[in-house]
Amino acid sequence: MEDSTRRVLQRLIRRIPTPQLKTTLEKWSGMTVAQRGSMDYTQTKWALTEKLLSLCEENDWTTKHITELEMIYVIDNPNQGMWHGFQLLDPEDDAHSVELTQFKEQFKSHLGELVRHVSVKIKKHTDEAVWIRIAWGDSFSRPNHLKPTYVVHHLQTPYVFVTGLTSKQKPLLSQALVLSTRHHTIKDANLSGRKLTAIRDLLMKQYQQVFPTNFPSPLAEKNETVSNPKIEREQAGPGAHRHQMACEAFGDGMLPQLQSAVYKLETKFKDHTNRTMTERDEPFKCIVKFESTNLLESLRYCAASGIASTPVTPLLSSIPLKGRNYFVITDNGPGPSSQMHQSQN
Amino acid sequence: MEPPHNSVVRTPLNSVIVQRRSKSKSYRQSYRSCLGAASRLGLTPALTARRLNTSRRAPKSHNISEKVNPEHLALLLKTEWKLSYVSPLYKFRHTQLKSYSRQLSAFIAAEKQQGLAVEVEGLQSGFRVTLSVVQGLTETDDDAETVLIQIHANPLFARQDEPQRSVWSGWLTCINGNTDYLHSLPKDFTCLPLCGCSGSEYLSGLVKSWFQQTFDCCFGPLEINHTSLQWLVALWTNCHMESSLQHLKMSWTLPVVPPLQVTYTVNPQDAWELWCSVRAGRQEEDEEEEEGGSIDIKEVMRLMQGLKGHFFRHFRLDLSAGSLRQVTTALGSAKCNGRIKISNSRYMITTLTLLTECALLKMPI
Repeated sequence: MEDSTRRVLQRLIRRIPTPQLKTTLEKWSGMTVAQRGSMDYTQTKWALTEKLLSLCEENDWTTKHITELEMIYVIDNPNQGMWHGFQLLDPEDDAHSVELTQFKEQFKSHLGELVRHVSVKIKKHTDEAVWIRIAWGDSFSRPNHLKPTYVVHHLQTPYVFVTGLTSKQKPLLSQALVLSTRHHTIKDANLSGRKLTAIRDLLMKQYQQVFPTNFPSPLAEKNETVSNPKIEREQAGPGAHRHQMACEAFGDGMLPQLQSAVYKLETKFKDHTNRTMTERDEPFKCIVKFESTNLLESLRYCAASGIASTPVTPLLSSIPLKGRNYFVITDNGPGPSSQMHQSQN
Repeated sequence: MEPPHNSVVRTPLNSVIVQRRSKSKSYRQSYRSCLGAASRLGLTPALTARRLNTSRRAPKSHNISEKVNPEHLALLLKTEWKLSYVSPLYKFRHTQLKSYSRQLSAFIAAEKQQGLAVEVEGLQSGFRVTLSVVQGLTETDDDAETVLIQIHANPLFARQDEPQRSVWSGWLTCINGNTDYLHSLPKDFTCLPLCGCSGSEYLSGLVKSWFQQTFDCCFGPLEINHTSLQWLVALWTNCHMESSLQHLKMSWTLPVVPPLQVTYTVNPQDAWELWCSVRAGRQEEDEEEEEGGSIDIKEVMRLMQGLKGHFFRHFRLDLSAGSLRQVTTALGSAKCNGRIKISNSRYMITTLTLLTECALLKMPI
């Protein structure tokens, strides 16, 4: 046990960049004030690790202490690894009244029934989010603290964000979540990215949206004296219109930082210059992936600059609208694989 | 489509070049006369085709694995190469590779030592350079034999018995070089216009500067431009029936803020059928004047147009606004910054022919 605690601590210190180490340790209750004061953060990582390992002996820290430290770090620096969005469906009547203590108890007991060896730690963050850290074991092995799953759930909302989950653990987590939040089912929201905040903002629609209006800029023209109003209007009109359409599709201002969107297309190839392919029965299969440091801003730029035609195709505007970034597109109605039916022109 | 071995042909390829030569002659003469006859290369009645061929023979599957030393072939295949073009080498002799190996070893050792104040023992013997001929990697009699350069070194903290490991490799080649250009070179020049390097930039620099000093040539980076990448899309797709593509993956970068990268991966069978439909259209149009063995740039463009059109129909986004940066299939991958990996020996010749042509286009006149 002692040895594994040391290993978890070593791994954790290696993960935390030195500048963040100080703030993380200061929020942690594992060290005395004197011990905190004795830390010299100008030392090398190796020296700091040695120091903390000796403190570990001294203070008799257990794995519990270390996982607590890990949670502090992860909650402050959530934008690591891949986060996946899930959505809870069909709430029961009392779903809205689930509060933290009840949820905590329920979740732990439900998961404990499903997996024999599992270590769950739940913490409430200031922004109302509940953070759950799960270290999984199985019937024969102790919980593995080196590969934990993190789950973030905002109580009274249907959204759950998960990182570090394997396909084997997925049904177990789903069941525990569904039962403890008083819902009937949970589904993959088909949204994933490296930034938890972006995924959350997209699903909860917490970004600056623009709604269509018939009067895009009602007062602007009256007060302006323009040298050649006709030319100005001619040039500004379509540009401003495109910009408006782009903002309506993707939002205004800073947009949630999504890194990619993937479309699996199995649609008919239609090209009036190519009869052979158009007459072919089988769909044309391809996968299209869009990538950018901020995908929504790139796409908005595409539409505003005219590289993408406006109005923006539903395929692209579905990313913010439906809050998802993985799509399967087929021509024929809802089959088993079709997750989004495309209305072809 | 004809079976590949039937197309022994030289389709209109030659005539196209001949025509272009006569057209561009006046331009070149004036270009030379204003430069004066100072440069030695300027004296050559050199005739590079100024543009990429608009038509090329359909890739034949070449079983070069029977001709080429398997060890050499394995090295050529497993590596990603950074490409450069090289101007013709003056007084290069394939018979003197052994002596060149020694000279290049000595050159590298000397350069390595320059920066050191104290002589470090054993450093000179650190590098072992081997230049060798890759037998069989040529297409026509005019092509000079491919030269392979390998540098081995002792690992940094080597034990006594540890073998030297390869730290750098590179080659110079000419596959299907433009015969007019090759014939126009004076006697003492060997044309190996395409160079691939793999290993540290530092060693690449040393090898290149030794070649420059010894054979009075110059090196320059060879990017694989938009058109060449499109050619590769078509040439590789054309091979699908004999050797599966697995996937046809193309990456575009669109000039927006922040930059948008679009990766378009097409099912190989669908790409092949689209290619066939594009080819069939052509054969109906001008069946009489052309034989099935050649591919025209128009067909390449029609394939790309088909792919882009299908994309546009879904996303209303014009890929032509961006630039094609990378093409990847099971037969090989090519990036616009001049990095290429050829994964299948049977289509190596086809790919190298295209790249030789690109390199010749970069040749200073």
